[in-house]
Amino acid sequence: MAISMQPHGIQSMLKEGHKHLSGLDEAVLKNIDACKQLSTITRTSLGPDGMNKMVINHLDKLFVTNDAATIVNELEVQHPAAKILVLAGKAQQEEIGDGANLTISFAGELLQNAEELVRTGLHPSEIISGYTKAITKTLEILEELVEKGSETMDVRNKEQVVSRMKAAVASKQYGLEDILSSHIADACIQVCPKNPVNFDVDNVRVSKLVGGVLHNCTVIRGMVLKGDAVGSIKRVEKAKVAVFATGVDSSATETKGTVLIHSAEQLENYAKTEEAKVEELIKAVADSGAKVIVSGGAVGEMALHFCDRYKLMVLKISSKFELRRFCRTTGTSALLKLSQPKPDDLGFVDSISVEEIGGSRVTVVRSEDGGNKVATVVLRGSTDSILDDLERAVDDGVNTYKAMCRDSRIVPGAAATEIELARRLKEFSFKETGHSAGEVSNESTSALLAVKLLISCIGHVHSDSCVENLLQYAIAKFAESFELVPRTLAENAGLNPMDIISNLYEKHASGNAKVGIDLRGDDPEDGVCKDVSTVNVWDLYVTKFLALKYAADAACTVLRVDQIIMAKPAGGPARRDQPAGMDED
Amino acid sequence: QPQIILLKEGTDTSQGKAQLVSNINACTAVADVVRTTLGPRGMDKLIHDDKGNVTISNDGATIMKLLDIVHPAAKILVDIAKSQDSEVGDGTTTVVLLAGEFLKEAKPFVEDGVHPQNLIRSYRTACYLAIEKIKELAVSIEGKSLEEKKSLLAKCAATTLSSKLIGGEKVFFASMVVDAVIAIGNDDRLNMIGIKKVPGGNMRDSFLVNGVAFKKTFSYAGFEQQPKKFLNPKILLLNIELELKSEKENAEIRLSDPSQYQSIVDAEWNIIYDKLDKCVKSGAKVVLSRLAIGDLATQYFADRDIFCAGRVAEEDLQRVAAATGGTVQTSVNNIIDEVLGTCEVFEEKQVGNERFNIFSGCPSGRTATIVLRGGADQFIEEAERSLHDAIMIVRRALKNSTVVAGGGAIDMEISRYLRQHARTIAGKSQLFINSYAKALEVIPRQLCDNAGFDATDVLNKLRQKHALPSGEGASYGVDINTGGIADSFTNFVWEPSVVKSNAINAATEAACLILSVDETVKNPKSESAQGEAAASAMAGKGRGRGRGMRRR
Repeated sequence: MAISMQPHGIQSMLKEGHKHLSGLDEAVLKNIDACKQLSTITRTSLGPDGMNKMVINHLDKLFVTNDAATIVNELEVQHPAAKILVLAGKAQQEEIGDGANLTISFAGELLQNAEELVRTGLHPSEIISGYTKAITKTLEILEELVEKGSETMDVRNKEQVVSRMKAAVASKQYGLEDILSSHIADACIQVCPKNPVNFDVDNVRVSKLVGGVLHNCTVIRGMVLKGDAVGSIKRVEKAKVAVFATGVDSSATETKGTVLIHSAEQLENYAKTEEAKVEELIKAVADSGAKVIVSGGAVGEMALHFCDRYKLMVLKISSKFELRRFCRTTGTSALLKLSQPKPDDLGFVDSISVEEIGGSRVTVVRSEDGGNKVATVVLRGSTDSILDDLERAVDDGVNTYKAMCRDSRIVPGAAATEIELARRLKEFSFKETGHSAGEVSNESTSALLAVKLLISCIGHVHSDSCVENLLQYAIAKFAESFELVPRTLAENAGLNPMDIISNLYEKHASGNAKVGIDLRGDDPEDGVCKDVSTVNVWDLYVTKFLALKYAADAACTVLRVDQIIMAKPAGGPARRDQPAGMDED
Repeated sequence: QPQIILLKEGTDTSQGKAQLVSNINACTAVADVVRTTLGPRGMDKLIHDDKGNVTISNDGATIMKLLDIVHPAAKILVDIAKSQDSEVGDGTTTVVLLAGEFLKEAKPFVEDGVHPQNLIRSYRTACYLAIEKIKELAVSIEGKSLEEKKSLLAKCAATTLSSKLIGGEKVFFASMVVDAVIAIGNDDRLNMIGIKKVPGGNMRDSFLVNGVAFKKTFSYAGFEQQPKKFLNPKILLLNIELELKSEKENAEIRLSDPSQYQSIVDAEWNIIYDKLDKCVKSGAKVVLSRLAIGDLATQYFADRDIFCAGRVAEEDLQRVAAATGGTVQTSVNNIIDEVLGTCEVFEEKQVGNERFNIFSGCPSGRTATIVLRGGADQFIEEAERSLHDAIMIVRRALKNSTVVAGGGAIDMEISRYLRQHARTIAGKSQLFINSYAKALEVIPRQLCDNAGFDATDVLNKLRQKHALPSGEGASYGVDINTGGIADSFTNFVWEPSVVKSNAINAATEAACLILSVDETVKNPKSESAQGEAAASAMAGKGRGRGRGMRRR
């Protein structure tokens, strides 16, 4: 870049190779542009009719998904400002597990609108304070929109769970949400602990088996392990289980040793004693009442022989995590050494059987009653990519369940909330005169700043008089940004967005705050805008709350940057095998 | 104005309509490859891979796997072929062809600017309707007597086999397959049906063993003296070496007195004699081991009129265990009667220029072995794949117990039904469901094309029959023998309904998946590109092996 050629100004202070960008054009607008590009990528995936993306990551793995968190994760975003958006999306994904797309797209939209404001002459700091004010107000309004009576729910009531979960699942797997969410709800309710707040998402497992169709999906109380049982016994029922974390074999010394044999007698007995020892161990296990041995490591041939002899079923689970889950499912405590287990250490299963599902053999561990803490959703689909996508939908559903265990409040879905927010916020903006434009600092903003960005706060001190009225613009723009959601939903569904938005506004203005887009309407001519309470599309309040908050924070953070200083990348000269000329910034 | 770099250097993105159309084109190209293999008159493909292996096949899944497709969208078609293979076993060409055709029909709409989501929604509806229709048309074979059931199943197997290389002998093989599947009964472990290939002879010389057969293993001197035929022998299955060798790796003998030396040598002999003695004492007449049985043991057994075979392949041994009711022993101590297996007849027979050990008339009878004969290696390989398909079909038919008319009849009927349904829909969806219906016609059309008939002519005849208001023409399909049309159902061209419903489901899922993609992003490969390449080559090898194992 031209500036970096002549060392003067700030450039002269820095080591050679540093890049330095500043000013409105160079830093702010370009950052906005990058974020806009990112959100354009994710935007088309928003909502039930969102399109999928095919992403091939650097390891050549193919992802076909419309889960924004996965997309941005695999995209390897490099631009520092766009990364802030990615981090906001990730924060949402980690906190709630759903709504990442809303976060990223909304932040992108906010920035796009900010760009217009910047171009009309507003200073970023004015926009920031306008946005901050707007988000505070938004969250207030959002709270008012919460559906009455939704604060209390029975997390074990399937109907209530499904109604809250459906929207989240539908946004991933539209058309399949009824089947999926009922399965997910089943699984979640099964493993829900006494105190729902302690719900652990790890307890709902997903087992993907290629073949069949979604309608063949099932929920199993217990686990599904890939692979066959080791021994010849393939099925037991109502059995006690012993788990050995190490292998099931005669113990060998770690230290290298040699057995010294002095006489013929010793030689003859050598093999026999070893055999007897293994038999003794297995017999001890069998005597304890266990019918199933689960090994965390290798199962010796001799040991297997005696297991068969004593009619013990042998399973091998090499993954430590899987073994731990197995212990949780069956209520077993894993033993470190092959020895006779104490009665307390034994677990219990209703049945373990080897079944063939879609050409692959799996071991199904069922544990219907008492102390079962793990449930498995068995997914069927024709390709790996479909299965991966289904799995992500299930994950989202389970996360939603977790979120609703903590806070069960709901707001109308299908863009009804967004339109209402836009409408009320716009009204608010007209009243805004700016007297109370206090700087609301955002603590969480700083958390998002884990990127190599030096943010210098805007040094200018504005005269108060000019701030006051200008905030109105920012707030109005913020309100306008909400239109993104209905617009995208309509666009993605192949409907006319302009019609729908104006239609929605009209309905909302006439007093019904719950009118949203009904994408399922068979007849596109009428009935696109419907009261969501009639079609039962609800979003969790907490999801929306955090998504909007993270988005606003991220947008403000990006706007706050007026200089970018990038240190020279460490290491030797960059690889020059690629065509040069792509490294201006 | 410098460009904004959002993604990593070298990232390749493409989006929009052009991208979607190019994905569709890729899929259509793949479907075109397997297109000609469909049906009884379908042609085979010869695939010569980089290691010099030659495969001749008309099994869709096998071809797709060997093609090594790299295009991400086209890979999805490979996946559905595999899934159809593992779920149903047959219909792999159908599924790829259908998916390709669905996409091809969607292409003009996409180019005209229809939103893919509209297409997807209509396709899903159409798929649902099609499946319901199949359920309605399916004929149950439940509740028939065993004999009747057998002949029905044989018809399903014959339909599958007719499209294969061994189609000429379909009746012969169909009954063989049905017997094999019925033999293994409800415990449907596929690996309990063994397929052994012996080059030479002709196809008609193939035979079914109601039990286990495997090629004679390597044997030592003394083997000739062993008897080769037993009636009701007891069978001992071992997993130990019967050879003179050191007991344990980590044992060492230190002697201070040279006179002891002989005693140690004796001890070693004692150990092996002791083992052999225990085998003999158990009363077994046939001793099989997964590991080697040395010449000493061979001689020892020969002296006592016992047959032995060492280094028996693991899965053969497992099959013998399952068939004879014995269990594999890792120790010769404490052999109780319970662990010994038995069968009616054991004999060693000459098959071609190989000798085979055959166990027949097994009590639990949960296994069957098909010995395939034929000319060239590739031919037998393909015959094996065909039999695998037929076996899978019969298993599925046995499980689901419903069949539909084949020969494109069911496809025509669904197509007609969907067209009729489409007329009741107002809006764009009508067009899309209509094109879905049109896509289904590809099956009869391709059947005709492959057989050299005038497809248009035959299709029109079929449409006419299917449109008869009385519904009597519903099972008319392509008659491959005359080039006209015939009632497939009365001609016993039958398919299990699960094959069709799974194929339509999988093809629709794949088509929808590809249509729903609006952007492809390809990240540059990570630093260790070479390591990657090596790894993928490894994976390729692994795949090859994996396939080999599953087939058996």
